[in-house]
Amino acid sequence: MRPIIGTEPTGQITSELRADDLMQPGRVNGLAYTDPAVFEAELERIFTGGWVFVGHESEVPAAGDFVTRRLGLDPVIMVRDRGGDVHVMANRCSHRGVTLCQHASGNTGSFACIFHGWTYGLDGALRGVPQPGGMCSDRETLGLNRPGQVASYRGFVFANASGDAGSLDEHLGPGGIELLDWACDLSPVGELQISAGWLGQRVSSNWKMWAESDLDGYHLGRLHASLWRVVPGSQYEAAVLAGENVVTATTRDRGRGHVELEFWRGYDRQLAWLGVERGQVADYCEALIARHGSDRAEELLWQGPPHALIFPNLFLGEMNLAIIDPLAPDLTVHHHTPLLLGGVSPEFNRRVLRQSEAAMGPAGFLLPDDATAAERMQIAFGHSGGWMDLSRGMDREQVDARGDRIGHVSDEVTTRGFWRHWAELMATS
Amino acid sequence: MDAAVSTVSDDRDLRAEVEQLLFLEARLADESRYEEWLALMTDDVRYWVPSGPADYDPDTRISFVNDNRNRLETRVRQLLTGVRYAQTPPSPMRRVISNLEIESTDDDGTITVGSNFVLYELSAQATNELRIWAGRATHRIRRVDGELRIAAKTVELVNATQALPTLAFLL
Repeated sequence: MRPIIGTEPTGQITSELRADDLMQPGRVNGLAYTDPAVFEAELERIFTGGWVFVGHESEVPAAGDFVTRRLGLDPVIMVRDRGGDVHVMANRCSHRGVTLCQHASGNTGSFACIFHGWTYGLDGALRGVPQPGGMCSDRETLGLNRPGQVASYRGFVFANASGDAGSLDEHLGPGGIELLDWACDLSPVGELQISAGWLGQRVSSNWKMWAESDLDGYHLGRLHASLWRVVPGSQYEAAVLAGENVVTATTRDRGRGHVELEFWRGYDRQLAWLGVERGQVADYCEALIARHGSDRAEELLWQGPPHALIFPNLFLGEMNLAIIDPLAPDLTVHHHTPLLLGGVSPEFNRRVLRQSEAAMGPAGFLLPDDATAAERMQIAFGHSGGWMDLSRGMDREQVDARGDRIGHVSDEVTTRGFWRHWAELMATS
Repeated sequence: MDAAVSTVSDDRDLRAEVEQLLFLEARLADESRYEEWLALMTDDVRYWVPSGPADYDPDTRISFVNDNRNRLETRVRQLLTGVRYAQTPPSPMRRVISNLEIESTDDDGTITVGSNFVLYELSAQATNELRIWAGRATHRIRRVDGELRIAAKTVELVNATQALPTLAFLL
């Protein structure tokens, strides 16, 4: 038998569907996108049973700064307290369940419920209860609910609602750790500055189509042809568009669902990813050499940022971060923010911001076309699903010394890597 | 007395001319007549769709659209390729413009005009949903070679702080 997408897809995904109903060698059934029971199982096993990305600590630099996010469908607050610690806790009053924060971000001294006025500190502890004489419960037990596990790495905050997903290190693995380090290494002070806010793109498609299309090196020439025609000379020309037998860029499955497009292997010049010549960012180059030494700095100046998915919901989209937010089987929000760097000039970060606006979001030059394709996939699978062929490059993918599967940049190595891990999590008997 | 009458009359003429410009701009956008729409813009035009009220520094916070003339021309040329799939086919649209107010006139004659709009869009590329967009546009308008032209357009959507569906057409 040829290599298959799922390891041994035989387990039960829902009471109706077994893994081998959804996955066969080289193909996946569209029911995995459309079936409400699959979505329910994903919320349980992936978005509350596993680690998900919540936010970056630099989004909440000062005491009282907060942002609101979701763990699966459950609203949470990420907030910095007066001691400098960052907490992730339910955006839900412990009394009667009203959301506490209505805004996407802000600064506050405490969280007060509009309904009866219960008030919580920045650490989630219940501080104030109006008319306390009638209170029968122990207020120590009524702080804001917390995910079972919260951990951060290089400022990237992750949470796991269930509390039994193993350690964050295990989830990220060496591959995930390396990707996050790499993104931070682009800053001459080793720090990201996620401060420009997020834009949301609302799409009538399943969330997994975003995990796939964000990491699909095959579609660029076709779906995004309109951009290359009017903006020639981008870094993607040499890396992807030059032709199947010419390009040297690769695709990589780092395991645990963390997958990557290595466009940089196909670049034809340094700093192609920033669209500048070295002289335009001389200070940046010098600062990077000062921090990393010449060898690593020159490598970074060639590579630029990673293009990778940290399973399941964090897209390291070159000079962008994106969060894939599942709302329903056929409704997803793709949020993005520019990957601004600490220790660089305002002009540098302004360039990153302008590039982010150009590429991403509902009015960007790229992502609206991906949204259109995803929505048409969702429509196409209707009620009955139907098989998708994901075998591209199966016969030429290789396993390198680290155990990563690698292939041609246009090969569906990333998509298979995503589904393989999905199957491991979902096909529990 | 004569001067006052004359001013009112001039104001009426100007208002009518501004209205005609905005109605024309709206119709060209509705009908995806991109080049004709672009021809109404000055060489230094700025087209801005902020991610909330337009009271922030767009160099430090992200916007849905923040185009100078160069990027706006690229946007239009992308639409004109015929393979901008997010607008292929173009969305049928009609918008209504109202509550027009001439807010100020600068010393150089540049006029600031506010107006409300409601836009109905058929998302014809995939879902065929009827989408409703609403907000307030602020135009900066000045005379170039005798014709009124748009030097800046800022569109504050009522739902600018929320996730938006595909916005690949011209607001």
